[in-house]
This record gives sequence, C-alpha cells and structure tokens, in this order.
Amino acid sequence: MPHESALAISPWTVSVVKPFDGAAGTPVGDLDDARLVAEAAGGSREAFDEIVTRHRRAVYQVCYRFVNNHEDASDLAQDAFVRAWKGVKNFKGQAALSTWLYRIAVNVCLNRLSIKKPVIEAIESTEHFEDSRVEGAQQAMIREQRAVAVRRAIANLPDKQRATLILRTYHDMSHQQIADVLGSSVGAVKANFFHALANLKKILGSEP
Amino acid sequence: MTHLTPADLIDAMEGVLVPERRAHLAVCEECRGQLDDLAAVLNDAKEASIPEPSPLFWNHLSTRVRTAIDNDAGSKPTWLRWQTLVPVGAVATLLLVLMISVPRLDRPGTRAELEATVSADAVALDAPSENWDALAEIVGELDVETASAAGVIEPGFAEQAVLELTQDERMVLTRLLQTELARVQS
Repeated sequence: MPHESALAISPWTVSVVKPFDGAAGTPVGDLDDARLVAEAAGGSREAFDEIVTRHRRAVYQVCYRFVNNHEDASDLAQDAFVRAWKGVKNFKGQAALSTWLYRIAVNVCLNRLSIKKPVIEAIESTEHFEDSRVEGAQQAMIREQRAVAVRRAIANLPDKQRATLILRTYHDMSHQQIADVLGSSVGAVKANFFHALANLKKILGSEP
Repeated sequence: MTHLTPADLIDAMEGVLVPERRAHLAVCEECRGQLDDLAAVLNDAKEASIPEPSPLFWNHLSTRVRTAIDNDAGSKPTWLRWQTLVPVGAVATLLLVLMISVPRLDRPGTRAELEATVSADAVALDAPSENWDALAEIVGELDVETASAAGVIEPGFAEQAVLELTQDERMVLTRLLQTELARVQS
C-alpha cells in the first residue's frame, strides 16, 4: 500500500494551537469578566492579560485624573494592575470587576499622593483628545485651556473630594459604589461631592 | 423650611430630590442659585477631557504590567533582601560576640550570685593580700594596646579578655579569685 507508507515517513505534524483552553476551549476574548477573574485566580496569565486589555484605559484615566500627568499615570496604572494580579485570588466577585479595579487604582493613587505631590502639566504639553479640526483653532485653544485649568483644579482638591468627583463624574459610579471604594458612607460621598464642586468653583473663580 | 443640605443639592442636581425638598427648592432663590452654580461647575468638569496617549501606549502598558508581574514573581521576599539581611546579620553577629566575650556578667542575677558566693566564704575584701594588690595594679593600669605592644599578650588569650573587662567586672573577678585562693590555702 504505497499510499500508507508515504504517510508513515512524513516528518510533518500538523497541530492547531488554540489561543486559550482554560475555560472549555473558549478563547479568552469571549469570556466574561467573572470567568476571566476565575481563570486569573487559578493562575492564568493569559486571562489576566485580557483583564488588563479590557480595563487599562479606564484604570489609566482614573490615575491620570488624580495626578494630571501621563508619566505618573502610566506608572500608577501599572502598579494598580500588579496589585490586582496579586489580589485576584481574594476577589470573590462581591463587586463588579471594574469597581474592584477602580478601588485598587484609587488606593494606589492616594498612597502615591501622600508621598509625592502631582506634577502639574503645562498648557503647551497637552494633546487634543477630540478632533479639533471641526472647530476654529482659536475656539479649540480656549476650550483646551479651560480643560487644563479644570484638570489642574481637580488635582488640587483634597484627596477624598478628588476621588469622589473623579469616580462620579468621569466613571459614572453610583454613590454607593464610591462609598464602597472609599470605605465611607453614601452621606459622606454626597458631602464630598458637594464640597469638591464648591471648591472647584472657588479655585476656577480665582484663576486669572 | 430649612435650606437644602449639601446632600439635598447633590440629589437635586441628579434629579432624585425627595418631593418635600423639591417644594422648598421651587420657592427658594438662594438654593436655586446654589444649585445652578454647582451644575455649571459640574458641566465644566465633564467637558474637561484628558489628553489621549499614543495608540501604541496601550500595548506598551500591557507589556509593562506583564514585565512587572514577572519581575515581582522572581524577586525574593522583603525579609530576604540584602538591605534587610545585612543589618540583621550585623546585629546578630554583635550579639554573638558579646555573648561569647562577656559570658556571665551580662546575665541578670549572675553578678549577685558571685557576690553572694564571695560573702559566704567570708573573705576579707577590704584587706586584700599583697599579691592581689599587685595583680589589681597590673590589671587596672594596663590596657590592651600597651600589653600587646610589650608582647605580653597575643590576641585571643585570656589576658586580653581580662584587660577588656570594665572596672566593676574586674572587681568581681578579683573577689572570685581571692575566694578561690583563700579556699585553696585553707
């Protein structure tokens, strides 16, 4: 049987490598957050990489709002994810994964701020988040200057007020979720939010 | 009716103020003014977007996280690092040296025991013999460097240990030796 012998001497082995088979062969990209957490808690680095990919923008943005500069924000985001990896075994899903990651990021930021004052960005160093081609250059510049002033004012708020304002305004977290993140009551969160806005108004009002 | 509290104003801004407080807001210009101010500032804050990093940054961040986790996994526990081990080792060595070089006199109670032994043997401590006077004189005045320079002692010899004792320690040693000599002579 010439056909069979030809197959027997073939040196090639063909195999299909799946990207991930920890959860019944489902690729990590198809898993929901809860499943990813379970896989990561079991030691899957690939599952944790996917968690990082999904949440890196939000975590980075929380950190940026706190420190108001890219370098520190990227360091803090990295630090937050390393801590998340270390703590993922203890995450029991009592909150959403994003809430848990925000909590870690906020704690990392608050710890860092207690050691180091944020570097305030220069107006010239900012890039435009939105495409400014649709509006006049002058209007865009005024808008960007206002944004820089607001970011700088936020970076100068007391820690809890800043955290509350950031999580409520930019990450749509409920008062209860913020209370969970900061370890305080809903009443305290509302009071912090009020004082954050009042202080922001004061700071912006005193700027030239 | 009292003005809106900070929590009421936040609720009003978010459209969840309870009806009775809403009734106050409808008639209170001061509270409405405060609410408008807060809403305006919040609007300013919402419009303040942050600079978007380079599109390459996101994968770079993931790589940094991976590397940091790898490095963290490969590093020793804090207590095993040289910054911790060196001072701890130095203190341990110092303690060991002290324990070896001053074996008894540092222990509480030992000195009292020695003195009790001395008094029990009823030695006339106030009137030491001539030999002991001579010994005390030699030991009391001589320091380690002088003795070494004169070639009297070599490092590690018992004499060196005697010369390094404090005045009190030498007194106790002298009494102990006197007691022992007196016992032998009798």
